[in-house]
Amino acid sequence: MRKLWLVVKREYLARVRTRAFVISTVSLPVITVGILLFAQVIAQRPQDRPLKIAILDAAGGLAGPVAKGLNQKLPDGRPAFQVAKTIEQPEPTEKAREELRAQLRQGQLDAYLLIPRDVLEGKAAEFHSKNPGDVTVTAPLRRAVTEAVITRRLSDSGVRVENLQKVIRSVDLTLVKVTEQGEAEEKGQTLLLATALAIVLYITLLTYGIATMRSILEEKSTRIVEILIASIRPSQLLAGKILGVAGVGMTQFLIWTVTAGALGAYGGAMSRALSPDAHPAPIHLPLSTLVYLVIFFLAGYFLYAALYATVGAIVSSEEDAQQMQWPVTLLVIMAFVPFGIILHDPNSPASVVLSLVPFFAPILMFLRIALQTPPFWQIALSLALLVLTTVGLIRFAGRVYRVGVLMYGKRPSLVEVLRWLKYT
Amino acid sequence: MDAVVLEGVSKHFNSVTAVSDLDLRVAEGALYGLLGPNGAGKTTTLRMMMRVLIPDQGTVRIFDEPLSDRTQDLIGYLPEERGLYPRMKVREVLRFLAALKGVTEAEADRRARQWLERLELGDWAEKKVIDLSKGMQQKVQFVAAVLHRPRLLILDEPFAGLDPLNAQVIKDIMLEMRQQGTTFILSTHRMEQVEMMCDSICLIHQGRKVLDGELAAIKQSYGKNTLRIQYSGNGDFLNLPGLIESANHFGATVEVKLRPGADPQEILKLAVERGVRISRFELIEPPLNDIFIEKVSAADA
Repeated sequence: MRKLWLVVKREYLARVRTRAFVISTVSLPVITVGILLFAQVIAQRPQDRPLKIAILDAAGGLAGPVAKGLNQKLPDGRPAFQVAKTIEQPEPTEKAREELRAQLRQGQLDAYLLIPRDVLEGKAAEFHSKNPGDVTVTAPLRRAVTEAVITRRLSDSGVRVENLQKVIRSVDLTLVKVTEQGEAEEKGQTLLLATALAIVLYITLLTYGIATMRSILEEKSTRIVEILIASIRPSQLLAGKILGVAGVGMTQFLIWTVTAGALGAYGGAMSRALSPDAHPAPIHLPLSTLVYLVIFFLAGYFLYAALYATVGAIVSSEEDAQQMQWPVTLLVIMAFVPFGIILHDPNSPASVVLSLVPFFAPILMFLRIALQTPPFWQIALSLALLVLTTVGLIRFAGRVYRVGVLMYGKRPSLVEVLRWLKYT
Repeated sequence: MDAVVLEGVSKHFNSVTAVSDLDLRVAEGALYGLLGPNGAGKTTTLRMMMRVLIPDQGTVRIFDEPLSDRTQDLIGYLPEERGLYPRMKVREVLRFLAALKGVTEAEADRRARQWLERLELGDWAEKKVIDLSKGMQQKVQFVAAVLHRPRLLILDEPFAGLDPLNAQVIKDIMLEMRQQGTTFILSTHRMEQVEMMCDSICLIHQGRKVLDGELAAIKQSYGKNTLRIQYSGNGDFLNLPGLIESANHFGATVEVKLRPGADPQEILKLAVERGVRISRFELIEPPLNDIFIEKVSAADA
């Protein structure tokens, strides 16, 4: 046990002290947060001044109501739209458009709105702008035109409406997630969080699995393994290496969790201070999900570490390792293929069966737990199958390792590797 | 007490027999040479002593104990293929390897400092292994093998890659340790080293023992049947099929194996008659090199 601990300690320290560990620990959250922030900034770039707009109303009588409907304010209190001019029923229309187009190009106007003659019969209005895709502009514009046209249609058929906005306001659909703990408003954050955590799980399983393989290969190619197994049983050495790398993974998780917690608290405080009225969707991450994340990371890591360790013990060169690791990496990647099935219906028979398969369970069962806690027996069964498979594979890896670390040169065939199992 | 006893040890890998029914006895305090051509089974034999491999048949005992974690700690090993963790500091590698053999880390650090000083590597303790020259790495590797004060030190080609100066330092350390009671097993192809250092040898070929015993006794059994002649001039005088069985030329020196009953005086006379200048003419026991070649080719025949 003392020797095992020495190996664990060396493996852990050798890895945690590397630049690669620091970089990967810092970069993953930074990149994730960076992408989120960037998306937010792009989506919410505030309009900085009133939009100068002209209304060309070929139908007649609509320009006024539309202008009245464009009453949105910018965050600083100024109006969002400034209707520079309205032209009603011009003759000919084409000449008036030419003029507006010229003014738009010269910068006297930011945009103009063309209401066609047949708009009441359903013809589309046109919005001309250098940047016609800006939703913060087009959404209120669309609403204003729609309201003006509907009011007109109603009054044409004899209905008078005082406050159309109130009448035609659409009904929002609030999504609420029902869990065993109660109910929480759902704005897509559960799906997002579950997917994000499953991706983190996937990346870490892959990273640390491959790290184990490389670590074994390194001891083999530097030949130090020959001295090591003259001092410690190969099974202890292998176990020590796997546990050491697992420790590195747990350290990384711990750093991320603490940072995320701190950032979350800080971000929450900041957003409350900036906009007291805003109610951002609360990210609901139950402690149980975190515990399951750790459990499935460890179980999944041990499973894949056993497979990657086997590869590391069989090969003796980096090139062979690249080739031989493919079947294992493919298994991890395959767990991603049925993501859609699980996200669509986490409790369908297909989802249940897939999440019980030991090679997929670490990622898929965790995804199901994060989405919607499945019956406990399914979690227990999936973990039991996972642990049994892992124990079997670690034994297999141990037997291959014992022989493989002393074998150099040509990559052995599968038949040869199976023969190794009989050596004592 | 014997340091190592192998009895009826065999080891197979599939259809290949690496070691076959090997008996071997290394007395405590001996400097024992394990010889054999490439692929003879030397490394397999050494690995079985260290419990890296388990014999299919037979028993191995180290200092009269069956193999265990404890016997592993009694042995120090310098493998032929050297290797350390390239990105670890010298002191840390030594501490780790000594700790694996049961030395406390503080004690390992203390001993490492002394050894590194002695081998003129004191300034390199905090450097990474990869920053050391190849010769320095060899010396660190030697320190790693002796740091836990093994009672049995197994050295595979210990002088390979060392310059004469450093080889001398390592040799002096070996002799000093031997005086303190350490047993050595030396596996090498360099016959002149074995001849000068070892007191007992074992020659294995194709997994079987061909010859073993005390070196002096082995040589004596061959008798003084070899002439070493140092000369200048024409070497044709050695074309004497009736007197000479074989000749091994080294340029200015030749080692000649005499036919049974041949008189060395005859050869000296012929040489003088042909005007060859002789600066040395010596009747010796056969060199280990010749015994090695003779035994191995006899086994092959």
